[in-house]
Amino acid sequence: MREQVVITGLGIFCGAAGDLSAFRRAILEGRSGVGPLDLFDVSPFPARIGVQVRDFDPVARFGRRDAAKLSRADQFGLIAAGEALENSGISGAYDPYALGVAVGAGAAGMFQGEQWLKAVLQERSASPDLLRGILPDRTATVIAEAHGLAGYQGTVTTACSSSSTAIGWGADLVATGKLDAVVCGGSDSLSILTFAGFNSLRVVDPQPCAPFSLGRQGITLGEGAAFMVLERESAARRRGATIHGRILGYAIGGEAHHMTAPDPTGEVAARIMAEALTSSGAGREDVGWVNAHGTGTPLNDVVESTAMKLVFGERAKDVPLVSTKPVTGHCLGAAGSIEAVATVLALGAGTIPRTLHFRGRDPECDLDYCHDGSRQTAATVAISNSFAFGGNITSLVLGV
Amino acid sequence: MQQDLKNIVVTGLAAISAAGVGVEPLVAAVRTGNSCLSAVPETVAGGERQKWGRAEQFRAADFMPPLKARKFDRCSLFAVVAAGQALASAGLAKGALPPERIGITIGAGFCGIANSEEFLSGYFRMGVDGLSPMLFPNTVANAAASNASIEHGLQGPNVTAVQRFCSAESALQLACRFLEEGRADVMVTGGVDELTPRMLQGFRALRQDRNLAAGFGEGCGMLVLENREHAESRGATILGEVTTINSIGRLVAGRETEAVRLLLPASAPARIGLSGTADLWPALEAALPDVARLNLTPITGRSLAMGGLAMAALVATLESGDTALHLAASPEGPYYAIAFHGGAPA
Repeated sequence: MREQVVITGLGIFCGAAGDLSAFRRAILEGRSGVGPLDLFDVSPFPARIGVQVRDFDPVARFGRRDAAKLSRADQFGLIAAGEALENSGISGAYDPYALGVAVGAGAAGMFQGEQWLKAVLQERSASPDLLRGILPDRTATVIAEAHGLAGYQGTVTTACSSSSTAIGWGADLVATGKLDAVVCGGSDSLSILTFAGFNSLRVVDPQPCAPFSLGRQGITLGEGAAFMVLERESAARRRGATIHGRILGYAIGGEAHHMTAPDPTGEVAARIMAEALTSSGAGREDVGWVNAHGTGTPLNDVVESTAMKLVFGERAKDVPLVSTKPVTGHCLGAAGSIEAVATVLALGAGTIPRTLHFRGRDPECDLDYCHDGSRQTAATVAISNSFAFGGNITSLVLGV
Repeated sequence: MQQDLKNIVVTGLAAISAAGVGVEPLVAAVRTGNSCLSAVPETVAGGERQKWGRAEQFRAADFMPPLKARKFDRCSLFAVVAAGQALASAGLAKGALPPERIGITIGAGFCGIANSEEFLSGYFRMGVDGLSPMLFPNTVANAAASNASIEHGLQGPNVTAVQRFCSAESALQLACRFLEEGRADVMVTGGVDELTPRMLQGFRALRQDRNLAAGFGEGCGMLVLENREHAESRGATILGEVTTINSIGRLVAGRETEAVRLLLPASAPARIGLSGTADLWPALEAALPDVARLNLTPITGRSLAMGGLAMAALVATLESGDTALHLAASPEGPYYAIAFHGGAPA
């Protein structure tokens, strides 16, 4: 029998909160981080809001030389992974060749890369340092280097499900004994590419995103990073680590339907959720709530609701489907890990988070979304869903 | 990190490279050892004498109508065509298996960058009027794997891995694990990469054009993997077996020798294949001094995900019963050693 994988460290740095304790308050009290954006010029777009990391001085954090060589996503990742490792107290507990890092990434260093491109197009000089983090794998490399994680270095890039998959994969590496501990999660930053891109597809809501509400128009973009430290339970207990939660199981798959539109039947999404539950050993009746992908696009929210009905049948109305994206924004490559951390914190507090920004009941979204407020729960198991461009789907089953 | 595998076999191969479209031209290039790299056009090279390994013989129109090809980026075109050829070589027609039992993991190098550049260039030149929504979906690194999954109806595990020069090896490691776990019966895996003039400009800016990016290549190498029992039950031809995957994330200062020991098997293989910067790591050369080696870099070019082509070439040239070790490395890690057996030894 595989050993249980436990979460012994959590770290987060995102637009909604600068550290774990602030993020816990934001999730449990329903404090949205949505506000005006000034990272780049958003005036040409109908939607001008997002959840931006503010009051952040990379030079103060990393020094001028290192800050210049790190992409914004690398910087976020280093901060969040650093908090998770410190929170775990794992330093010195394992051999470096038994420690790994698994990162889910998205646009990665595009924020800096597009500055280089703009300068080149305008025939201005540009620092080559702007290109150093252009590929999504660099965050894993700099985290491995900074913390001496020499056993594994890997990056998953399945768009908005990247970091959920990285957590599932990281848990598997620990459960099977290939590594003693893994730092896994994701990091992503706002960029002109993604902001203009989603606007060009007309899926960005000019108002703060309102998942599962009538009149919703789409996403609100965000940025940040979240990481967790995973270990086998026996080893974690031996060293007296605090156990924040468990990765009980996961499943992944592709819809093979369309690059941007979800399969309207929700059948593959339902299959992935069901497979994740099977892999976890938990029953449908154990699930207290589902942290939705819940982007706030008209189609996503209907399909996810449909998938819930396929998985839970008549019980679907009793299993809240909650989106924390109105708090954090849609953090793309980091979304899965940010929401996994939110779910673990909420499980630990016995609280099902509220879905903010309710605008009215949508007859096509006819489940319980906790629009009216957070609520107490005795549940010890929750699912976190991530859907992505290309039809990539990952479901994590989390426990306390 | 050591992963001993039981009964994961290779039943299909595909290759698109500077040598041509298909495994045969790649094998022919390997056997002659002749370089397929060509001179970078003067307009692209900016006065520098450079070579690159563009897959010049690849024509999307040979495989799909032009209107359909237009919706894909170049990496996706490579992946869609190569995945189709790999599945065909494995004898797997569309619909032969339940779609949820076939998955895909691809190592992607610079996938998504070309579309990102084109999309952003439109915006920087013309503002919102220059935005082309059609380009945006394929700016993600997973576009190649996802488009291949859509075209071939693969609904099993679907992951794109990017990790320096070991992206394809990272993807193969995932594929083997998914087969071990029973998440899929068949996995299509490999690596895909593209090469554009703007990328060369970036390499020059980073002063890599005379270093690791000299003679960069593009293309796609794919392998079809499945459990031996599954392959035998459907009468598939077994081309080889993946027996172990050893990897480390990065070198620990002062413990480099231990890293080589963690990577390499106890007994020397008959042949080694090299990818990424493995040919530049002296410790590996020293550990396996007299073993025949297949280094694709001078033949079809180096890139982040060319390990897919290197592994396909290695398996395609393995005699039945031979052992071979595929070695891949990146300057800042990771490092992979993947062992293959040729043919179908029980």
